[in-house]
Amino acid sequence: MATVQLVNVKKVYPHSGETKKSRKAESAPEKKTNLQITDEGVVAVQEFNLDIADKEFIVLVGPSGCGKSTTLRMVAGLEEITDGELYIDGKLVNAVAPKDRDIAMVFQNYALYPHMTVYQNMAFALKLRHLPKAEIEKKVMEAAEILDITEYLDRKPKALSGGQRQRVAIGRAIVRAPKVMLMDEPLSNLDAKLRNEMRAEIIKLRKRIDTTFIYVTHDQTEAMTLGDRIVIMRDGFVQQIGTPQEVFNHPANLFVAGFIGMPVMNFFDAKLQEEAGKYFVCLGSLRVELSPEKAARLKAKGVKSQDVTLGVRPEHTDVAAQGVPGRVDVAEMMGSSVHLHVTAEGRDVIIIVPTVDLEGSFSMGDTVHFTFNGKVAHVFSKEDEHNLEY
Amino acid sequence: MSTLSDNTKGKIKLTILRVIVYAILVFLVFLCLFFFYLMIINSTRSNAQLASGFTLLPKENFFINLKNAWNDASINIPRGMLNSLIIALATAVLTTYFSALTAYGIHAYDFKGKKFVFTFIMAIMMIPAQVSALGFVQMMNKLQLNNSYIPLILPGMAAPVVFFYMKQYMESVLPLDIVAAARVDSSGEFRTFNTIVLPLLKPAIAVQMIFSFVSSWNNYFIPALLLDKAEMKTVPIMIAQLRSADYSKFDMGKVYMFILLAILPVMIVYIILSKSIIKGVTAGSVKG
Repeated sequence: MATVQLVNVKKVYPHSGETKKSRKAESAPEKKTNLQITDEGVVAVQEFNLDIADKEFIVLVGPSGCGKSTTLRMVAGLEEITDGELYIDGKLVNAVAPKDRDIAMVFQNYALYPHMTVYQNMAFALKLRHLPKAEIEKKVMEAAEILDITEYLDRKPKALSGGQRQRVAIGRAIVRAPKVMLMDEPLSNLDAKLRNEMRAEIIKLRKRIDTTFIYVTHDQTEAMTLGDRIVIMRDGFVQQIGTPQEVFNHPANLFVAGFIGMPVMNFFDAKLQEEAGKYFVCLGSLRVELSPEKAARLKAKGVKSQDVTLGVRPEHTDVAAQGVPGRVDVAEMMGSSVHLHVTAEGRDVIIIVPTVDLEGSFSMGDTVHFTFNGKVAHVFSKEDEHNLEY
Repeated sequence: MSTLSDNTKGKIKLTILRVIVYAILVFLVFLCLFFFYLMIINSTRSNAQLASGFTLLPKENFFINLKNAWNDASINIPRGMLNSLIIALATAVLTTYFSALTAYGIHAYDFKGKKFVFTFIMAIMMIPAQVSALGFVQMMNKLQLNNSYIPLILPGMAAPVVFFYMKQYMESVLPLDIVAAARVDSSGEFRTFNTIVLPLLKPAIAVQMIFSFVSSWNNYFIPALLLDKAEMKTVPIMIAQLRSADYSKFDMGKVYMFILLAILPVMIVYIILSKSIIKGVTAGSVKG
């Protein structure tokens, strides 16, 4: 249980030839990120500022190569911090070795000690602290019970399935009751069903062990369901920090808007018009007035009429008798809803139509009209892609 | 007359192929084991019997040869074996441990000049022992370390070949996340190496221990240059001495017995360590 503060943290991987040769997939030299490259080297993380409250669950999320794992490893002490300060419980720990930080970490690939049994794996850290044998046993048994792995305690990791191994890895972390619990994509090696189960377990676990969590994932569903707050990263920069609801309802920029939410938000080239304190978005022949709250925020920022990128989530896009016309390409029946893939205004648009009051069906080539509510339309600057409201 | 089906033809072909393969294998096994067998048989024969020719059946002189060899007045076989054992065991243990430690340093840490260090160690591999032997012997004489175990054990520890083998092995079995996990579990660097890394390297260590032990046990060149005191001599030197011994007292049975004794420890070490060469000790550690 501890607070964690990151102040202007920066990580640079120096150029010097083969150091850090794809050690982590995240810092792999493949051309898949737009990380800034300076004279010093590749800047993996920069200007990272975050105050994590005691017992908060923070999720770092972003596409691969965005610096989220690097940030986590810096908190763990496995990567050196190039610049900036890291405080755990108010204590500056930049130069403190991982073993003295009182943190625990769960790795994506489990990283269990293969020559030790499950029990030994979980007891390893406790033994290093010279705890009495009886106490070690008590703690391991407790953790094993929480994670439902009691019957595997004398097995070696190779005799376990992926889900069981991940439980052991989590067990190894929780026996120590660490100040901060770090998790580096712990579920990404599991199959979809198991991942959903484990996600629910992590939520339950969090209630039981009650410590500060920093959780890294590239899966926005995990981020939304687990996090008290989400940190969205891209190319080494923090894009937005907020509660799941905040980042969903008020994305700070086009990237966040596109990254959070499933299916992804629909984007259109549209016009923003300001008339007597009211704001309208014009998409083709459709003209929608933005809600008073949005208008107030835009007005406060002094936003003028301009070309914008309009974002509307698929679940907020409604099929209507009148509106923007589009041609149906694919209609995916999802059970409770139909996902319509429509071409409209030169863009691919997804519309979610609930099946409850759906009459008839959609077939390829049909023309549909859609509209949206002024409360849920997001307008982004064409220049720098930021949300014009903020 | 019915024609053979494709299935039957295939079976015949397979059988012929197998016969050929097994014949070759049996021949190779014969090549490997026959001379071994011959040596054991010869160690049971007296000098006279050995002089009379070749036989495949054991004779009754085994214990007489053993007694003669063990109690030989000019050559102290028990002492020689003890010397060799101390040197070979110490070399095997120290070589593998420190090579693994060096390899771990190069594998798990990032530091400036890492690439240079690696290349430098590899370059040493190219230099044969004979090249530096003269200087080495002179240096040892100056340090008055001739007739000592130290020059036979310590230099062997710097073994680039073993280092390279360990490094390659680590790359395949030691994910750095395990090291990171140990660090986070508050294990110090040496403890991590000794309790986490070394057990994972067990198969590689076993292999390299066998090699180091055997090559140290069989080493003749450097010991011959450094050892002249009788009580410090190692087995290969004694064997050479036996060969050049007085011809009138030459006992072939004793020589065969000595050779048998000389390879015995090597076999024992092999039998003990080969058990540890198990594949897949790391299976299950990380997602493969």
